[in-house]
Amino acid sequence: MKRLLWFLLPLFLFLLVTVFLFKGLYSDPHERDSMALERHFPPFKLPDLMDDQISHTNDIFDGQMTLVNVWGVWCITCAVELPYLTQLSEEGYRFVGLYYDQDLDPDFGEKTISRVRTEVVDMLGRFGDPFEFNIFDVYRDTSLDLGVTGAPETFLVDHKGVIRVHHLGDVNERVWNGKFLPIVKTIENELAEERIN
Amino acid sequence: MNTLLVKSLFLLAWFYFIGLVNAQEMPPSEQRAVPKDYAENYAFTDPEERKVFLKLTKELRCPKCQNQNIADSDAMIAHDMRRKVYELMQEGNNEKQVIDFMKVRYGDFVHYQPPVTGATIWLWLVPILFVLGMMTLFIFRRKPPQDISMDEKLAKADEILNKID
Repeated sequence: MKRLLWFLLPLFLFLLVTVFLFKGLYSDPHERDSMALERHFPPFKLPDLMDDQISHTNDIFDGQMTLVNVWGVWCITCAVELPYLTQLSEEGYRFVGLYYDQDLDPDFGEKTISRVRTEVVDMLGRFGDPFEFNIFDVYRDTSLDLGVTGAPETFLVDHKGVIRVHHLGDVNERVWNGKFLPIVKTIENELAEERIN
Repeated sequence: MNTLLVKSLFLLAWFYFIGLVNAQEMPPSEQRAVPKDYAENYAFTDPEERKVFLKLTKELRCPKCQNQNIADSDAMIAHDMRRKVYELMQEGNNEKQVIDFMKVRYGDFVHYQPPVTGATIWLWLVPILFVLGMMTLFIFRRKPPQDISMDEKLAKADEILNKID
């Protein structure tokens, strides 16, 4: 009996460690629960990227479902996802860009607003333009309030201005179908119900 | 020697040219995307406040880069968070308020001191339980069976000796 125990104990410990390490192989250290979920989009008043005479507030979310995409011309993954986002916008989804500039990076230097605009037009012309308009997050305060850690990040905001999905990284077909589409359907149902009432 | 001189002159001319190009791209009169006062120059009149700022930037964890605090990290988000910490402190927020501000946005992850909850309590309990368990094991460990007493050994030895005789 004692011999059997001495044989089984290391085996049991070995299996325990194996399971633990095996799980670690498939865990993403960057994955964290978003704090923004089920909260109202933080209040903001920011200029339009292309025309600083226009300013945007939380009113942009009123009555319709919106996808807010945090992006910048310096961000390579953004360039990768732009064609797919454009495809989605052609299917009728509404995209608003939250422009996140990397002015602090010494490699990019200090930019003028007109230079930024030229680059934006150039990039959207090349990879596709899904955006109804772009909000310029000048000091990235709104991004900080949203818990943004980099670009790209995408938020699904419902017709009441509540954040329903927060996705870090690029949106592709797999992510869209798995993470966004179920919630999109729910919001569409909520919208339809409200219209009937 | 002569070629070196030519080369360096050429290099100088090239730098000058680059400088000109840059100057043309960004005339000083044009509006900058981000105002000048943006530089990270955090000044404190009160040395105590400076200490709090340094402590906070050490304790707050960069959400983008794993295992770096925001004082250490050069990620854009770390720059932004340092600026926010400074702003919040200038507005009169205390240490706890700044930490709470960040936690609301980035979760408990953002602070290097995890709060005590049902899940995290084990971080403290497990080492204590381990030590206690080992101590009880050590104290109540069964003693090895006592050897036969010396008298019996002697008797046995005598017996063997007698046999030889």
